[in-house]
Amino acid sequence: MAGIVKLAWIFLKIGLIFFGGGYVLIPLLHRIMVDQLHWLTLTEFLDGVALSQLTPGPLAMLATFAGFKGGGLAGALVATLCIFLPGTILMLFLASRYERLRSMELVKAALDGILPAVVGLVAAAAWGMGRTSLLTPRDFVLLAAGFVILQFTPVSPVFVILGAGAVGFFFGFA
Amino acid sequence: MEPKRQVPLREIFEVFFIIGATGFGGGMAIVSLIERCCVYEKGWVTLDEFMHGLAFGQILGPFSLNTSTFVGYQLRGVVGGITAAVGFISPSFFLISLLSWLYFRFHELPQLQSALKGTNPVVIALIVVAAAGMARSKVRSRGAWLMALAAFAAAAFLKVGALAILVAAALWSLARAWFRREHA
Repeated sequence: MAGIVKLAWIFLKIGLIFFGGGYVLIPLLHRIMVDQLHWLTLTEFLDGVALSQLTPGPLAMLATFAGFKGGGLAGALVATLCIFLPGTILMLFLASRYERLRSMELVKAALDGILPAVVGLVAAAAWGMGRTSLLTPRDFVLLAAGFVILQFTPVSPVFVILGAGAVGFFFGFA
Repeated sequence: MEPKRQVPLREIFEVFFIIGATGFGGGMAIVSLIERCCVYEKGWVTLDEFMHGLAFGQILGPFSLNTSTFVGYQLRGVVGGITAAVGFISPSFFLISLLSWLYFRFHELPQLQSALKGTNPVVIALIVVAAAGMARSKVRSRGAWLMALAAFAAAAFLKVGALAILVAAALWSLARAWFRREHA
């Protein structure tokens, strides 16, 4: 029980300082899990990173993996809840103020002014992923096919993604 | 805009559960899925609201989860936000727990890698489609294009953090609005 409480506290603290998205988390968790607490070996840690990227969730699902090592399924649940709690609470708070903020003239100008920057960020994400994972002609064919289907047909992206996964699986993409 | 109808919590949970179960590629891939589903298919939030949620989501924690929470809140308040967040995280949670169990038992990573290699290019296509759609409706003036390009360059080439870029863009827009008001 004491172990679970300690685990909860550690992941809550990580959730509180987890500013600016996923990749801050890797060095942070590495320092805490491997160097300070010795909950995970370096190999386990790196495998955990790979494993959390196998799933659709955010990289922070690494907390689930570390929690599982620390306390089984209960540990995984507690770690996941705690690491996401601070961000979720902040988000609920912002969402509850959103309508009022939006009705203030200057805030509205600032909020609307950042929309083009959001577009730039979304495009940059595609760029960053493309640089690391578009390596062969095969990848570009899949990219083009995906683009055409998603842009011009009403097919749900869920099926497009699952279909592409099936293609990779059955053709044994290396 | 038509008044918002009360969306059942069950529907919110289901939609975000499906997004959470199929959003391979993480981050922006998930956000693109949420946009497609909640803005265009269901009409739950407007594109402006959605993009503001995405911007707020960059502050603390993963923005994919935060954007889900934000959309859920717009539909049903705090309960809706939590429902969306839980629905979104559950598939990954179960999958990771299962994989962790296998891993610590057998010390081997399951061979899901080839399937993921196939999804990667399509996920990029999904993000490109989302960015193009947002650009068409929200980037119309020359100033807006410059800001979008600057944000893209800062994030893609200079590796500036998303939060810093958004804060800079907000300050810039605020200064412009203030200046215009003072000199109108």
